[in-house]
Amino acid sequence: MPSTPRIVVALALALLTAPAVRADDPLLERDVLPVLTKQCLGCHGGLRQKGGLDLRTVPAMLKGGESGPAVKARDAAASEMWKRIESDEMPPNDKKLTAAEKAAIKGWIAAGMPTVAQRQKDADPLLATGKKHDPKEVAATIDTHLDKVLNVAKLKPAGRSEDAEFLRRVYLDLTGRVPTAEQAAGFLDSKDADKRAKLIDALLATPQYGEQFGRTWRDWICPPELPSDANGGKQPHTEAQNLGKWLGTRFAAGDPWDAIARDVLTAEGDIKSKPQVIFFALSGEGGKATPAGSARATASLFMGVQFQCAECHDDPYRAWSQKEHWALAAFFAKTTGDFGKVSESRGGGRPEITIPKSAFKNAGNNVPAAFLGEKSPAVKGDALRPAFAEWLTAKDNPYFARAFANRLWFYFFSRGIVNPVDDFRELNPPSHPGLMKLLANEFADSGFDVKHLVRCICNSEAYQRTSRVAAGADEQAVAAMTANFGRMPLRVMTADVLLDSLKLAYGDPKLDLRAIDPKDGNANGESAPVAEPYLEFLRRFGTNEDDATDFTHGIPQMLAMINHPRLLAGSNLLDAKLKAKPAPGADEVVEFLYLSTLSRRPTAAEKAAADRYLKKAPDPTKGYNGVLWMLVNRTEYLLVR
Amino acid sequence: MSQPLLRRRDLLKLSAAGLLSGASVPWFESLAAAAPALKKPRGKSCILLWMDGGPSQQHTFDPKPNGEFKAAKTAVPGIHIVEQLPQLGQCMDDMVLLRSMKTEINDHYDAKYYLHTGYKRASAFEHPAVGCIASSQLGLPNDDLPAFVTIDAGSDKVNGGRFYRSVPAYLGPQHAPLAVHDPYKGLENLKESGGDLADRLELLGSGEAQFAKEYPLPAVGAKQAAFDRAVRLMRSKRAKAFDLEQESEKTREEYGAHKFGQSCLLARRLVEAGVSFVEVFHRGWDDHEGAAKRIAARAPWMDAGMSALIRDLKQRGMLDDTLVVWMGEFGRSPGDGGGHFCNAWSTAWAGGGLKTGQVIGKTSETGKNAGGTVTERPISAPDYIATLCLALGIDIHQEFTAAGNRPMPLADKTAKPITEILK
Repeated sequence: MPSTPRIVVALALALLTAPAVRADDPLLERDVLPVLTKQCLGCHGGLRQKGGLDLRTVPAMLKGGESGPAVKARDAAASEMWKRIESDEMPPNDKKLTAAEKAAIKGWIAAGMPTVAQRQKDADPLLATGKKHDPKEVAATIDTHLDKVLNVAKLKPAGRSEDAEFLRRVYLDLTGRVPTAEQAAGFLDSKDADKRAKLIDALLATPQYGEQFGRTWRDWICPPELPSDANGGKQPHTEAQNLGKWLGTRFAAGDPWDAIARDVLTAEGDIKSKPQVIFFALSGEGGKATPAGSARATASLFMGVQFQCAECHDDPYRAWSQKEHWALAAFFAKTTGDFGKVSESRGGGRPEITIPKSAFKNAGNNVPAAFLGEKSPAVKGDALRPAFAEWLTAKDNPYFARAFANRLWFYFFSRGIVNPVDDFRELNPPSHPGLMKLLANEFADSGFDVKHLVRCICNSEAYQRTSRVAAGADEQAVAAMTANFGRMPLRVMTADVLLDSLKLAYGDPKLDLRAIDPKDGNANGESAPVAEPYLEFLRRFGTNEDDATDFTHGIPQMLAMINHPRLLAGSNLLDAKLKAKPAPGADEVVEFLYLSTLSRRPTAAEKAAADRYLKKAPDPTKGYNGVLWMLVNRTEYLLVR
Repeated sequence: MSQPLLRRRDLLKLSAAGLLSGASVPWFESLAAAAPALKKPRGKSCILLWMDGGPSQQHTFDPKPNGEFKAAKTAVPGIHIVEQLPQLGQCMDDMVLLRSMKTEINDHYDAKYYLHTGYKRASAFEHPAVGCIASSQLGLPNDDLPAFVTIDAGSDKVNGGRFYRSVPAYLGPQHAPLAVHDPYKGLENLKESGGDLADRLELLGSGEAQFAKEYPLPAVGAKQAAFDRAVRLMRSKRAKAFDLEQESEKTREEYGAHKFGQSCLLARRLVEAGVSFVEVFHRGWDDHEGAAKRIAARAPWMDAGMSALIRDLKQRGMLDDTLVVWMGEFGRSPGDGGGHFCNAWSTAWAGGGLKTGQVIGKTSETGKNAGGTVTERPISAPDYIATLCLALGIDIHQEFTAAGNRPMPLADKTAKPITEILK
């Protein structure tokens, strides 16, 4: 798991706060919580509360434990927690706090225990709620939010991307593949001042937009290795892919997110007519839907809340209780399902669930269904999932809009406004609270219009900034800029995007980069170590889902790119181009190859280098094939810049 | 192993820095120069021989008095294994038999997962496989050879449930195994194709140097370093580790004219070249129609391949530093071995600097259900994984951080390692 550059995050956080907190004041989230998480919460958190003490929140610290309150604001000497830490009485094991960690805690108490969270609530979204705004107005407001933070931090945002950079980025992000040479040339040569906004609109109208967002959500829903039936049963790859396609169709049609979410969460019936029913078995166990799995996946994907710890015990690091988790799971208690179907048992029984034996705390207790954060279980009758979906997708639901908006932001910038994207909570506040509110409001006010939100973000200067790094910028400065959305990060193409881009560059819709096609394996291929081409490509070229800037390909992937015969065998498009009358000159062909891979024209130096290479080649076609090989092996090709 | 290894990303940053500072040198050469001849960190190597589907213990290493296969003496007085494995019998001085595996799970896939990770499979959470753990703990981050290689030794029938693929989970994709799909063909895509690679690399190099100058970022350094490692591997003498043709006819014959034996030989070559963990898997041991006939047919090549491996490692002075483990995801039911059986089964270990020439644990000897219960020293899956890691010199008490700040101990805290075999 790549670690977040905490210092940078904290910097951003510190800059946001109201005047009462100076930038150099210690802050709970930045300075203290990491220490507590590492050293203290294991025993004084959700899992265990030794001495009756819970250190997860400031109110809990003030409440204290058997020895009284743990902290006293502005008085470290009178704070029980500080006394025990200072004397090395705590932690009781041999991993004591370092001098710096101690200083952080003492300073924080002395400063009156300031937190970012307490100041987040009043953040101003800067646009009125209750109506849908023009995307360009929202885009400008996005930039206002970001610029404010950048200004305070004295960071000068990167300039606007060149057309070629924007073109390739927006094609990859919105349609999941590079543009064709013709599309690229058309955009680059256009003199239309509004061509970027128009391109965004045009791409949102393509079926590829749906396909790309559908498979992105498919990957967010599906675990990296799919579950299977108990005894080596079949793996639902096809069904998972169909889920992605179903989502894609809905996205492409412009269906609002609340409708899509409702259709997933309330689905009943057979997979043949409802591909989304597999959501439940995918998030369950052993190929079967489970209430806990459904709750966990629903919380993570639709609410931005992590419940994996609270399944078995109160969360040691987050203020979620085990009861809250099971109260949510109770909505799925009557749901049964597998890879083929989902059904709901009707009639009788209270809407509640018994905590199963697998949880190591409170097994056997009954928990009534309740909406998260609301005290009374307000559910009657049979329609548990519909009641939940109705609550979740209501316009004023506190979780639904922001969870999607944050994920969408993460998709474009490789970093959420809240990180991890499904970990919204008091002690993990957004880096840009006003912006978070703006996006969530706009999304809800637009009727959860996904394309609208995409338009708002993609039309912002933030999205259209260059990813180039200013000459001489040091690593810290670059990281600070990226974390504050002052420049676009370089991201690694996902397997799907790389495969589709290669297919396009080689004019080969069946492009297969496997070295062998094993004939063994049972009918479903489960016992075969090499899968069918698409799945195998996804496995081999899978990327870090949590951090798109992390280049994780190694020797096997590079060897495939370098030596796989298919990548040297030339392109069907190139062949067609070469057959054209009048025959194209070398310059034209090289330009065509650059446009269909890097979505730009070659520089003079690049032209000259290609020329030199082509002169050495035994025949022109082989030479051009070598140039194409070189282009797909470029770092620039594998990255989204 | 108390010294923390450099994290991969840090190393990549270093290489990226090295790359960027050598402005006048072609980009791939400067990296090669920046990679010092690092020594292998302390710790051993492992060759895991995985008999996918669940091999019968009473037809291999734990014969029973009235069993279908007769017991035969071995080089160690008092230890008997089936007479079908005479060469392994002669290696018993260098082996330890663990006869009291008791591992709770009788379903193929979940058992494969459990015995590869030491953890039971849970939904929505992946645990790293032992080979990936070894890669993260023993491998060199910037080596031109990957630290974990799997070799497919084929199958004699297609059953035994879904194939388990080693997944690095939270350790990061860089610890995923490199797969050899056919030991005779070696590593796929390793051979230069197209003929004019040097010219193409030159063409690529100038653009790459320019891009690295414009984007001095970790992802760029990481890509160029990985690419460079691949090119270095293709051109390195160590690439020959993947080529069985480098071995003499005589050696190849000793390992047996079967994919399994040749996979064992390839595994030895790879360990010799510095790979930390090799998993050889042979599929088709799910003998529901009875194990006797099937194992009688497999015994000759298994006996030849595995014993040749042990002898060869020993002769080369590598056996003390190389642990060989033979096993499947569970054993077979007493009697004809027709059913899955996780209650009392065997794994066979060799070398690794262990206290060899002994048997750990016992199963019931007589009665209608001979071998049906463990009577001494039950070994759980966590016990087994913890012992394996300890034997390789891996600190089993360390914790990793999985998604959601979840601390994950390398070995389950219930694990009781089999210290009686460790020196």
